[in-house]
Formats: sequence, C-alpha cells, structure tokens
Amino acid sequence: MKTSKPKLVVVGNGMVGHHFVEQLCEQQLSQHYDVEVFGAENIPAYDRVQLSKYFASSSADELMLTTQADYAAKGVELHLGQQVSHIDTANKRLTANGQQIQYDKLVLATGSYPFVPPIKGNDRRDCMVYRTIEDLEAIEQAALNASSGVVIGGGLLGLEAANALSALGLETHVVEFAPQLMSVQLNDKGGELLKQKIQALGLGVHLSKATQEIVDGESAQHRLNFSDGSFLETDMIVFSAGIRPQDTLARTSDIGIGERGGIVIDDNCQTSAKDVYAIGECALWQQKIFGLVAPGYQMAKVALSQIALQVPERVEAPLTFTGADMSTKLKLLGVDVASIGESRGFAGAQYVELSDLQAGVYKKLWLDETGLYLRGAVLVGNVDEYSHLLSQYLSGDVLEEPAVTLLLTDESAPLTLKDNAIVCSCHQVTKADIVEQVIAGNHQLAEIKSCTKAASGCGGCSALVQQIIDDTMQAQGLDTESGICCHFEHDRQALFHLCQVENIKDFEHLYQRHAKTNASPLGLGCDICKPVAASIFATLENQYVLNEEHVALQDSNDAYLGNLQKDGSYSVVPRVAGGEITPDKLIAMGKIAKRYDLYTKITGGQRIDMFGAQLSDLPEIWSELIAEGFETGHAYGKSLRTVKSCVGNSWCRYGVQDSVGLAIALEHRYKGLRSPHKIKFAVSGCTRECAEAQSKDIGIIATEKGWNLFVCGNGGMRPRHGDLFATDLSTELLVQYIDRILMFYSKTAARLQRTSVWMESLAGGLEYLQSVIIDDALGVNHELEQQMDKVVANYQCEWKTSLEDKAFLQRFSEFVNPEFAPASTQNQYQYQREQKFPIASDMQTFIEVSRSKSVVGDIAITLLDEEEVLV
Amino acid sequence: MSWVSICEESLLPAKRGVAAWVAGRAVAVFNLGEAGIFAIDNIDPATGVSVLSRGLLCELNNELYVASPIHKQHYSLTTGQCLENESLSVDVFEVKCQSGNVLARALA
Repeated sequence: MKTSKPKLVVVGNGMVGHHFVEQLCEQQLSQHYDVEVFGAENIPAYDRVQLSKYFASSSADELMLTTQADYAAKGVELHLGQQVSHIDTANKRLTANGQQIQYDKLVLATGSYPFVPPIKGNDRRDCMVYRTIEDLEAIEQAALNASSGVVIGGGLLGLEAANALSALGLETHVVEFAPQLMSVQLNDKGGELLKQKIQALGLGVHLSKATQEIVDGESAQHRLNFSDGSFLETDMIVFSAGIRPQDTLARTSDIGIGERGGIVIDDNCQTSAKDVYAIGECALWQQKIFGLVAPGYQMAKVALSQIALQVPERVEAPLTFTGADMSTKLKLLGVDVASIGESRGFAGAQYVELSDLQAGVYKKLWLDETGLYLRGAVLVGNVDEYSHLLSQYLSGDVLEEPAVTLLLTDESAPLTLKDNAIVCSCHQVTKADIVEQVIAGNHQLAEIKSCTKAASGCGGCSALVQQIIDDTMQAQGLDTESGICCHFEHDRQALFHLCQVENIKDFEHLYQRHAKTNASPLGLGCDICKPVAASIFATLENQYVLNEEHVALQDSNDAYLGNLQKDGSYSVVPRVAGGEITPDKLIAMGKIAKRYDLYTKITGGQRIDMFGAQLSDLPEIWSELIAEGFETGHAYGKSLRTVKSCVGNSWCRYGVQDSVGLAIALEHRYKGLRSPHKIKFAVSGCTRECAEAQSKDIGIIATEKGWNLFVCGNGGMRPRHGDLFATDLSTELLVQYIDRILMFYSKTAARLQRTSVWMESLAGGLEYLQSVIIDDALGVNHELEQQMDKVVANYQCEWKTSLEDKAFLQRFSEFVNPEFAPASTQNQYQYQREQKFPIASDMQTFIEVSRSKSVVGDIAITLLDEEEVLV
Repeated sequence: MSWVSICEESLLPAKRGVAAWVAGRAVAVFNLGEAGIFAIDNIDPATGVSVLSRGLLCELNNELYVASPIHKQHYSLTTGQCLENESLSVDVFEVKCQSGNVLARALA
C-alpha cells in the first residue's frame, strides 16, 4: 500500500530518540508523516540513566522504555541493529545497510560514545566501557573470572561503574587524572569528602594519576603504570573518562560539526543541512554538549515543534532551545551528592560554607556579587535541602533571608514550592501540573507518572512528586496510607465484597459498620467514598440510582443524569445503540435540538450529543425524547457508554458477520451496568477493523468462523491496544465471556481504574484473566454470570423512571426561589458555524491563533446583539 | 444587611444543596439536618460558574465542605476557604429557620 505522506526518519533509538517518537505519536503528528526509526543496538530504547539496575536482576526487562510491538502499534517502523552509513543531504537520501531511503525530515539522535583515553594497552582483554546493555553483559561475564577491577575516570559515570564492579563482588579501585572526584560538579572540598566516604566503603581511590600504559601484571591480569612511577594491578578495567558526541555520520555527510566534535545546531535544533535536526548528546548548541537526559528531552520537543510547524492545520507556537539547567542530585555508592547551577563557584562570588567532617556533611552555596541571588550549590553527605535550593535557584528570586538559613532549613518543613516551579526537569512538569492531577483523583505515584510524565525520566524527582501528592491529599483531608479516602481503610474491592457479603445496600449502614473508628459521627463521607459506594450498590443491585438512599451519594453527573459542561449547562445524550438510527429518530432529535437551541455533535462513540441544555430544561427535553422512543445513553455514568460498529455484512462487500446486529445486542445487554470506570465496546465486521475495536475495553472482530475477542484496550491519554483474548468464538460463548470479564472487573478493580490498568495490575496479566474466565480457575464463573443476569434484568431507563416522580422534578429548578432572580443573570452564548457556544469558550483563543497564522482562513465571530442573547 | 426569606423549609432536601437568590446573589444552601443549614456563594471562584449547590457534601478534618462539581476543589461551608488553593474563597451567609421558612443574610 503506497501512501503519499512525507517521510520522517529518526536515526538513533536511545532515550532521546525514543522520547522524540513518543511525543510525536502523542501529538498525533504520526498521522502526517510516515515515520521510520533506525537503532544501532539490537534492542529498542531503554533507560540508560538507571543502567546499574541491570545488575540487580541481570536482566534488561526493567530498563526497557518500549517494545518493538509498541512501535508497530503506533504505526512507526523501527529497524534495530542497523547502522545508517551515509546521508546525501542534497538529495535527501540516506543509506542504511546498503539500502537507499528517501526522507523529507531527518532527526539525528545518535547520542554519544564513551571516551577511551589513548593509553598503550587499552585494547587488552577485559578492558571495557560502560555505556550499553551489551557492555554490562560483557562486564558481568568478565567479572566471573576476576577478583579485582579498576575504573578509569572518577566522574559521575565512573563512580557509577565503580558501584557496579563493587556490587559484582570485586575489589574495586577508581583512578582519576584530576586531583579530585567529580570535578565537573563538585569543588575541591566536596570532592574530598566524597573520596573519604567512598574509601570508607572499602574502595580504593587514586587521584592525580595519569595512566601511561597497561601491561601484563604479576598478581593479576593487568598492571597500570602511572606517570609518577607508581602502579596498580587488576583483573579488569572499565574506562569511564567521559563521553564524546557520536557525530561520525554527520561528519561523513558534510553536516556542520564543532571544532571539538558535536553536530552544530541552532536554537531550533536545526543543523547546517536543510530539514536535518539533531537532538541529545550528539548535538552541539552554543559550543556546549549537554550530557544529561533532560536537555535532550527539551531538544526533542523543540525539534518536534519545528517540524509540526510545517503541518498545515497545526497552530501551536514553535518552541526554541534556550539552554538547560544541569543541576543533579544522585546517590553514588550510597553517598548522597547534589550540585546546582554554578556548583564550582566563580570569580567574585560570595559564599556560605558548612563543613562537618564528623557528621560527613559538606555544603556550599554560591551567591552573586551582591549576595542577594543564589547562583550555585554543592551538597555532599546530606542533600535534604536540594529541592528548596533548586526551587530558589530556578525562581531567580531575591533571597528573602540571609543565605545561611537556606542550609538550616528544618527538613520536615513543608516545601514551599511555587505553583510554576519545575518539579520534573526531564519533562518540564510544574508543581501546579501535579496538584491539578491529584485533585482530579490521581493519588498514586504511578498514575501521576502516566498522566503528567513527572518522575518518569531520570526519576530523581520521585520523592518530591510523592511529597506533593501527599501534601495535596492532606490538604483535601485524604488519608495517604491506605483505603480509598479518609473515611474508610478499605479499597474499592474490599468495600464491594463487604457490601455483597453483608448485604449492605445503603451508605448509612456501610458507614456505621465499616468507617474508621475516628471518622466523624455525622457520617457524611466525602466526594470519594460516596460515589464509590453508589457505584457498588448499582453494580450489585442495579436499582434506580436516584432513590432517597442513593441520591446524595451521586457525583454531579449522576445526580442530574447529564454531563455537566464548563459553563454549568448539561449535555443530553440519548442511546443510539450500535450507532444505528432511523430517519424518524434523526428528525425527532433534530427538532428537539432546534427547539431548545442545543449545539449538536456526532461523537466518536457514534451517537449524537446535544450541548448547552439548562438544568431546568432537562426534564422537558427528556420527556420529549422518551416520547419519540429514545432512552438515556448513560453518558453521565461510570458505565457502558457505546458499542461502536462498522456497517457489517448486510451492506459491506467485505463484512463476514453482522457487526451491527451484534453491537446493538451487546449495547442493550450491558447498558446501565455501573463499573469502576466508563466502558466502551466496538464490533468490526471483518479484519479491516473499521470500528477500531482494538482500542476499546471490549473489542470484537468478526472472522469467517465467528468472533475474535480483544480485551482491556483504551484510547485517551495513554492509549493501549486490547489483548487478543480468544478466537473464533460463537456468539453465545462470546457473550458468556464478556459477562464474566465485566463482572470480574466490576468486582475487583480499584476506584476509577480502567480495564487496561486493571489488567496490568493482575499478577499474571492476560494469562491469568484467561485462566479465570476460560478455565474457571477460581470457580467463580457461575456466580459472575448470575450477577450479570441480575444487573441485566434490573435495567431501567433512569430518565423514564425519574420523570414519573414529581419530587424528583423539583431538583431541576435551578433556584428554589426563581421569583427573586435579578434581571440579567442568564448564560450568554456566541454563534459559530451556525451553532451556539459558551462565550467563555477557548474557541476565541483558537480562532485568534488561527488568524495570526492565516491557516484556517478568515473566520468571523458573530457576537450577538443584546436582544439576541439567549435567555 | 437584613434577613431575606428564601423558601419553605420543606423545600430543602436532606444532605444536598439547592441554589437560591439572596438579595440578587446566587447562594448555595445545604441542609445537614441536625448539624444545621449552611449557605455560601453559589459561584465557583475557580471557574466563575454558578454551580456549587450541585457539588457533593464532604466531611474532612472535622470540617464541612462542598466539592465543586467542575474541578472538585473543596470549599468550607463555615469559612468559605478553598482547601486546595489559599487564594480562592467564597462568601459565607447566615441561615436560620423561622416558622417553617428559611431565612438568609450575608455576613457583614
């Protein structure tokens, strides 16, 4: 299949190259380009920052950032173990493994290689480097026959390599050319303390040593002869004397290179060659190579935004690279070390120094000439102040107190980070970004990692992120230890089982019997436990959700049976099972939408949403819809939303089964099922997969012999393809499996846990789920089916039931005393593309941006005259 | 400011909120039975939308709150202070019942 999309090639599949591709897919730019990636190693991207973790398990599994299948799923072609040998920048062609590939945009993320000093004998047996997983495998292998090891290089990476050798049980030495360790980050005194601490751990540290040659040893395999006449014998040697940009490819392809290496880039990450970008450790910006992952990630974002600029309908402003902060905090050989800004000081600087060799602590702050601004810091032995100092340094604010107080901060003092303080410098995540997600209900570090990306780079900010989560939850009165909230020690699964076993059907009883002993006697609960309880009662009994016992538990959407929108109005969403709708119903919907002036939109789930309904109009709108034969679509609930389908074999030339018929049947079977999170299905009538079933919680694809069932996929922020659960099922068996899976999920998942996360949380994952559902390994299938039958039997259209209840309708008067309403209080709307939108809509900004770029063309905004304003 | 009658007591549902007009201002009124009746501004200060009466009532750290239905920030029913963001708050109103009627007035 030939497409006419332009081609984007990425050379290099390290952390930065991978980050670029990830961002590319996330921003959906992959739809505009055919993307091909070349990696020189035989495995896809892994976490090089955490490389030493490899020795804990002798496996790369934990370090992997992605898989080949991930790339395939994203539609990105990944070539592993392939060297790109030449780029013809004039004709935009590159050569990889003898093949010519045409590109439109090229991104070089070739990284760096370890520098091996030109010492005679450096190519002897068991002389190695520390860079890739292959290197680590070789080191591990060599260590089997060695009793001692030397690391040449006392910088950050060298100490990390020494840690690895020591962990492998070798007598370990570090040899450094400079008179101190970590001479890039630490000053002399900090380096001295670090040396003492490392020596105390039993490692040898040899400073100011220039190795002249490596020859045969007497007591060990090698002897290192130093220039001062001394020597050291060892069985193996690891060179870790710094990195050099991997710029060979660019060099041989006439792309501009710096005097001392590195591919020259400008602020847009563009190289000297047209449409060729360079990012990460291979790139030279203003004569600087950045040897940390965070600046590489920033460059990836910049290059991407520059490339996005050329996609016609994109309107975001492009980013530029303006340098990067190189502050770091790490634990080397068990010793805490941190450096911030100008950590080695500078001429004219003022400073504050704290040296307590007895306690093993050294700290120094560098201030500007006036003593008013923090410019750098070095901390060894205790780095408690790192976050405070980094925040002060990055803010660029004047010190409010004498600088010495920065070093006397009570470590238990709450961190007073500003909202816009960058917490995760790898992914540029601010404190406010994290707080927002915690408030939205993401309370686990893992959830915050996945939705904000904070702590998912080098991981150095994990503790700080956890602290922000805890502080925010504490502010909300939530218990951070266990349980769903401050009122219950139990998680959702335990509460579900308690309600089931003890036949508890209302919140009052649940609270009396199982709330924490110190929880308040008022028994009010909170916005976390109440909706969870409501969902559990609904899954167990499927009673009317707004009866007197349950109504005060319901989250706003369930409480008013509509989706609350940003302006306080509601959306109205009738069920359109399988996306099939009659012309009469279409006309009816259209008339109703017109009568109430509702904004209408066909959604991704194949139904029609009507927006902008006022609370007080909801009952009338719904009674008209019900009279036309509609029922509620449960768009407001954590419940089954839609079953999407393609056209199926009744019309389609390729369809092999009736996907529409099945979709409608399934939607009617499971509609109204309350679950831990919303659930979506899709049914495709053949392998062409027009319904996109593999991105749904339950996805079904027709085969010649029956149905293939995919489970636990999702779209959204973190898309996941469903796993193939079973093949060629009869319709009857298919429904049986879905009954069991959905009920098992509803009973055991955590609060607001999607099926994909739930599946990943099951020890054994897909195989375990198959053994429970297909082989009945737990012996619960009969019960699961019975429970599902009960839920199905108790289905009711919540709007229909509600409309028959006069007391219920009272809730829909916006104000209890509407007669006292001031004259002008109504929401105002503007008109756009012949429909209404809230005045405060972001659309305004969007249009302004579009205009300034003249991309979308001239769109006129018609603001209504006073008398035309909707009331 | 003087007391304003807003509605009959029987119109306040238990453990939930309703919105009412008090001297031209939109106010959220919450009936917590024995614990009392509380009233705060109905406009969510984080978004400017008049919806707090539709939020869920919460009891956190021995204090009563309503969670805004828009972005879930919590506002104290007794002080009006936002739990998550110091810079946000709403006004609190006094409420009392008199011969079956609910009366409210703004705290000076």
